Amino acid sequence: MSDVLTSVLRRRGGSLLLAVLLCALPFYLDAFWLRIGLFSMAAAIGAVGIGLLSGTAGQLSLGHAFFLAVGAYGYVWLAGEPGPGLPPALAAVLAVLLAGAAGGLFSPVAGRVKGVYLGVATLALVFLGHHVLLTADSVTGGFNGRSVPPLELGGFSFTETDPELTVLGVPFGAEERLWYLGLALFALTWFTARGLLRGRPGRALVALRDSETAASVMGVQVARYRSAAFVVSSMYAGLAGVLLALSFRRVVPDYFSLALSVDYLAMIVIGGLGSVAGATAGAVFITALPLLMTRYADQLPLVATPGSGDGSIGPTEAARYLYGAAIVVILLYAPDGLHGLARRTRARLRRRRPVTAPSDAGPSPRTPATTTARAKEHTP
Amino acid sequence: MTTRTAAPPALDVRDVTVRFAGLTALDDVSFTVAPGTVHAVIGPNGAGKSTCFNVLSGLYRPAQGSVRLGDAELTRLAPHRIAALGVARTFQNIVTTQGTVADNLMLGRHVLSRAGFAASALRLPRAAREQREHLARAREIAELTGLGEHFETPVALLSYGDRKRVELARALCLEPRVLLLDEPVAGMNAGERARTAEVVRDVRAELGLSVVLVEHDMGLVMRLADEVTVLDFGRAIAHGTPDEVRRDPEVLRAYLGTGTTGEDAA
Repeated sequence: MSDVLTSVLRRRGGSLLLAVLLCALPFYLDAFWLRIGLFSMAAAIGAVGIGLLSGTAGQLSLGHAFFLAVGAYGYVWLAGEPGPGLPPALAAVLAVLLAGAAGGLFSPVAGRVKGVYLGVATLALVFLGHHVLLTADSVTGGFNGRSVPPLELGGFSFTETDPELTVLGVPFGAEERLWYLGLALFALTWFTARGLLRGRPGRALVALRDSETAASVMGVQVARYRSAAFVVSSMYAGLAGVLLALSFRRVVPDYFSLALSVDYLAMIVIGGLGSVAGATAGAVFITALPLLMTRYADQLPLVATPGSGDGSIGPTEAARYLYGAAIVVILLYAPDGLHGLARRTRARLRRRRPVTAPSDAGPSPRTPATTTARAKEHTP
Repeated sequence: MTTRTAAPPALDVRDVTVRFAGLTALDDVSFTVAPGTVHAVIGPNGAGKSTCFNVLSGLYRPAQGSVRLGDAELTRLAPHRIAALGVARTFQNIVTTQGTVADNLMLGRHVLSRAGFAASALRLPRAAREQREHLARAREIAELTGLGEHFETPVALLSYGDRKRVELARALCLEPRVLLLDEPVAGMNAGERARTAEVVRDVRAELGLSVVLVEHDMGLVMRLADEVTVLDFGRAIAHGTPDEVRRDPEVLRAYLGTGTTGEDAA
């Protein structure tokens, strides 16, 4: 039994440690940092979705913001007033399904149009969505948007009070509570997306991206898998939309613009196409950067404090310049993104280790050729 | 797990014509691949050999003619349906996908496995078991084709000959009844050629499948093929055993040219 435990610890030790660390953070960080974390988690869920579509299946989508909006507004309308006023947990699930259904409605196009051309086709969705959000006042609240009803799970509400909660001397407000919700949803995303990518559908999508011809003669139904990738990606976007709405506590149409879609593409490019961990890293980078720069604007050179308005660069613009530069640097020097960079660093460290510790009698009788070439563990 | 044990049905190509905007790539081509034989399709460059393969695997629709595998009419089916019937192919220019040899071979198991998006995302025990079983079979096929030691190696790191063999192994992973090999030894050195020829002979003997072979290497064709069809400018100009074909005057003319017809051929 203890053997099993140690082997699990050896294999999963890193992720366990990370999970414990993430769970402990609300006890030490204030609301500002927790909010950055929340937005990052929501963005990571959305980025995993678009990573599946654009990174793994090779289908460009500029319509991700639309599906985020469907998730966010779907939740607000379903759980709120005016609207059916469903229990918020049910509304959240339905909102994700609604985003999936919206993706399914688009699947006649998504299944047939390939690569860059799909990007152009999905562009229409963003503009259409934005227009509907602005004009359908009774559902969306128009230009001013709507406030988001708080999530409730079995009498426990994700708000400041109700019920009053203090854990280990730390008062648990909305941010602390939502943090754990975000962690759970992100863990779900991580689990499902990795399962998809390492399973039969993931291989079929990779084959579609690399060679449609090879995929089809190997028995992959091209149109069906393209549409399915689109639907799954929309559902992750919907989930991200729900979490974003809960964190913002107010949804407004202008947030779900084309720039948001581009942000999500930037996340997966910076993180590395086709990898869940990469999409997460990219999402944290793109989300946290402008928020951090706004917070520390007064201490940064060349950046004006918000509202000073004397013609210099504000923190948001500065963040955009920075991540534009990051994209250029990544595309030039590490086209496989942060994920590829991490993998190569790890491979280099592993190659160096036997040289520094030649007497190491570790359980690794593999030939050096396979250890350097192989970065993925055995599938059990 | 599915393994097709029954003898393959005959593959019957009848009067197939393919035109590309005025160019007739295949002109009334007919031949029959008898069950369990190796049938070679040879001919000079541009004779229509690869076009013929693209018709067989459903990538091209012929203007006329039919291709039947047993009772199934292949010309009306999409490529993935033809694959599901047990027709697997390799490509002249290597077409592998990103990832390891194992990933590529598992793609070959696609039509034989069932796990969909939901089952894989939720990692249902059923999907995990299926994946394990198919991985075991893929490993067997890797051993059979001499890729055993490279099973976990990214395809991009393999030599040209090994990558070519990955394609062969991936096609075999489909447990095909008919195997279409488009120049399986092109660009290989003598040792690699001999090894691939051996693999083809072995799998035919062990799995009893039919093989259609397009190849420029006459030595390999003569050694492996039971029957040969010669194409020239889209027409089938000769059929027969390798020995018969080798002596056929039409074939000699197509390959070497003669004084009189060589001029208008050029």
